[in-house]
Amino acid sequence: MNNEQLLAEIREANLTYLMLAQTLIRSDKPAALFRLGLTEEAADLLAALSPAQVMKLASGNMLLCRFRVDEDMVWNLLTNHKPGKVANDTTSRLHANILMAGRVAEAM
Amino acid sequence: MAQKSIVNESRDIERAVTLINLGARLQVLESETSLSYERLLRLYKEVAGKSPSKGQLPFSTDWFLTWQPNIHASLFANIHEYLAKSSAMDDIDTVIKAYQLYMEQMQASEVEPLLTFTRAWRMVKFVDNNMLTMTKCCQCGGNFITEPYEIPRNFVCGLCNPPARAGKGQAAGSLKLQ
Repeated sequence: MNNEQLLAEIREANLTYLMLAQTLIRSDKPAALFRLGLTEEAADLLAALSPAQVMKLASGNMLLCRFRVDEDMVWNLLTNHKPGKVANDTTSRLHANILMAGRVAEAM
Repeated sequence: MAQKSIVNESRDIERAVTLINLGARLQVLESETSLSYERLLRLYKEVAGKSPSKGQLPFSTDWFLTWQPNIHASLFANIHEYLAKSSAMDDIDTVIKAYQLYMEQMQASEVEPLLTFTRAWRMVKFVDNNMLTMTKCCQCGGNFITEPYEIPRNFVCGLCNPPARAGKGQAAGSLKLQ
């Protein structure tokens, strides 16, 4: 993949993300805040973007969305790489969900 | 409410319909809307197609503290806290939204949703009145529903350290350890 292709892929991903985020926020804001992990200010800003602005924002060399988990504990639970006492996929997923929902709530 | 407002009433009816569809008991409707008992009863029969179940609501906090229900309750409580912090809504709307997100997650992971709406609503009241609280697990750092006098320094959640008989149930959709 050459550089141009890479940039095009990044733009594509950004565009998809921004459009999805806008749809989510416009249809149900409180739920969108939870799904996206954004603050209310950021969500208002995103929802107000015009298509032209979205296009401009999407084209760049950086991805706009990033991981919401930056912690080994959650990673291990989601990937099941280091099974602890619980070796069941569904149960560790639920555990990860509890942690993820809790983390962002703490950060606010 | 001194003066009856039609706008408020229509909002109440809409809310009541949502609540009935989520499986709320009549007591929840009575407490969260200003509609009269008779109207709620009629509405319930119309929406649910049957008479509401009778009897008292479960009043004990014990259910939320047993292994499997506690995981469901804690997940709901975390979602609820997130929503309460991130957007300003009426209390009952926060509960409704949180419950919908909880149900969504249960469907996605194909687990039987143990927590009914009435239980979830009840739990929020218990937490508000300090009959239950959220305690941080000292191993994973997650917040879990516990008794208010749990010692936070030594608290380990049911997922980091499952009790001996946990996950042995045979019911479909229950949580397993292996």
